[in-house]
Amino acid sequence: MLKQVKPKNARAKRAMAKREPQHHENPKTTLFVSGQKTSQILKLAVADLSTLKRPFCEKFTKKNDIHPFDDASSLEFFSLKNDTSLLLLSLHSKKRPHCLTLARTFSHKILDMLELYINPETFRTLQQFKNKKPSVGLKPLIAFHGTVFEDPNETKYTLAKSLLVDFFKGQDATEVDVEGLQYLISISAEEPTDTRPNPEVKLRFYLLRTKRSGQKLPRVEVEEMGPRMDLTLGREQFPDADMMKQALKKPKGSEPRTKKNIDTDGMGDKTGKIHVGKQDFGNLQTRKMKGLKRSRVDRDEGNEEVGVEDDNATGGAAEAALTKKIKV
Amino acid sequence: MSDTEMEGGVALNGASPTHSQLAERIDGGAMDVKSPNLNGAASIADSTISSRLPITVDKPTPFTFDLGNLLANDPNPVPASADEETLKATARDAAQALINQLLSTCQIKSDSEGVHLVLPAPTTALPREKPIPAAKEATKWERFAAKKGIKDKKRDGKLVYDEPTGEWVPKWGYKGKNKEGENDWLVEVDEKKEKATGEAHDARADSRKERKDRTKRNERKQRNNDRASRKNNGA
Repeated sequence: MLKQVKPKNARAKRAMAKREPQHHENPKTTLFVSGQKTSQILKLAVADLSTLKRPFCEKFTKKNDIHPFDDASSLEFFSLKNDTSLLLLSLHSKKRPHCLTLARTFSHKILDMLELYINPETFRTLQQFKNKKPSVGLKPLIAFHGTVFEDPNETKYTLAKSLLVDFFKGQDATEVDVEGLQYLISISAEEPTDTRPNPEVKLRFYLLRTKRSGQKLPRVEVEEMGPRMDLTLGREQFPDADMMKQALKKPKGSEPRTKKNIDTDGMGDKTGKIHVGKQDFGNLQTRKMKGLKRSRVDRDEGNEEVGVEDDNATGGAAEAALTKKIKV
Repeated sequence: MSDTEMEGGVALNGASPTHSQLAERIDGGAMDVKSPNLNGAASIADSTISSRLPITVDKPTPFTFDLGNLLANDPNPVPASADEETLKATARDAAQALINQLLSTCQIKSDSEGVHLVLPAPTTALPREKPIPAAKEATKWERFAAKKGIKDKKRDGKLVYDEPTGEWVPKWGYKGKNKEGENDWLVEVDEKKEKATGEAHDARADSRKERKDRTKRNERKQRNNDRASRKNNGA
């Protein structure tokens, strides 16, 4: 743990404030770290993944002797120093060839980890597919195929799903440009069988092409853009239940308001909708004009009428009360 | 950051199509949601043609969506030893279903900048990066004020009316009202006080000292509050 330091100038203070826990968090940044030994395949894979992750990524060029399943403290330290909560360690060894370790942190402590071994035979890079690549920083469409990802229990595959969604989803957005829907990440896994209990997770990236279908909705076609990775799931570390519970907490005020007719507008001002009853146009005061004034004669008549009633009122007390009411 | 819109970003490796090309493609293709009437007319004409491309996806188990993350879950089993063509077909189905869902359920905003979809909040539970920030602890004064029901006083400007001179002067700072009695040209000697303590007093210096002490006291209180809040948050 770093010593709690007091910022010495305004810039440092702002930078530190940015790193503090926030109600609405910024998109997670990924740190790409290479282990003591990597392979060409891993280098290419990391290059492609970081291209797709831009601008939310950091890349270390030097080797680091890290074995996260033995001791993950270095990863936690990197996470703290670089303010990155997703880490991707690439490490190649005889026992675990072409291994990518995807780790996620919560408050700079390892939350969960998963090893992904790239199949070197089927691996293809981004550049091997000759087509136009999507723009940087777009939010991808993600699709998961296969029953293994739908398991209600915590399995390697559900962990992989959670990690991959977190890894690829990009910036949280309330609005998305239709033109920005340019590519799809398709993640599929076959059914586990007795001979192959751990089927490969197939990671494919497709460009979307839309065609006129003659209906309101377009016809979508896909074209592979790379990279193509077949991943075998290796060792995993499931999240600690308490830690996950903490991490899944939603800040107060983020849930949608259920109260009727009360809203908060874009500026954060509270607005309400009020329904007023039907207006009675009968006694609506319109513009006063001389021409519309009652004439002297009318007024005199009116006075006379009141006077008549008054005269009558002198007769009985009950009638006096009635006239008062009328006058009011 | 979460409220920002996703835009067509910077081109990647220079190989990406330009914005106008993209717009052309979208127009050429049929992500055309601005003119449903036109499309409607076309569909009537096309309905007789049997070669129309299907836009619906039929699967034994329906897809589930998390539109906030642009995520589609396809719970149908992937055929064993699937080749690239099969994978592509399943991916196409998912993309079609997801885009159908997006265009049919999301509110569509179109303006001069393009067509935007308003996404609902994400439903997939993903862990946060850091814990929710703790609420700032009330200071000792705030607790006391709440107990006594003391409300904040409205601060109406920095200036205050000075009766003797008939001028508006700042409450604090240069020539501030709080420095009254610190540089009077003539001050009365407090004989009682001098007799009691047995030494000469400088009323100007005393007044200044009092003010400085008040500031120091306030700073001490601030530090105490900070320390208390840090201790409580750490525990």
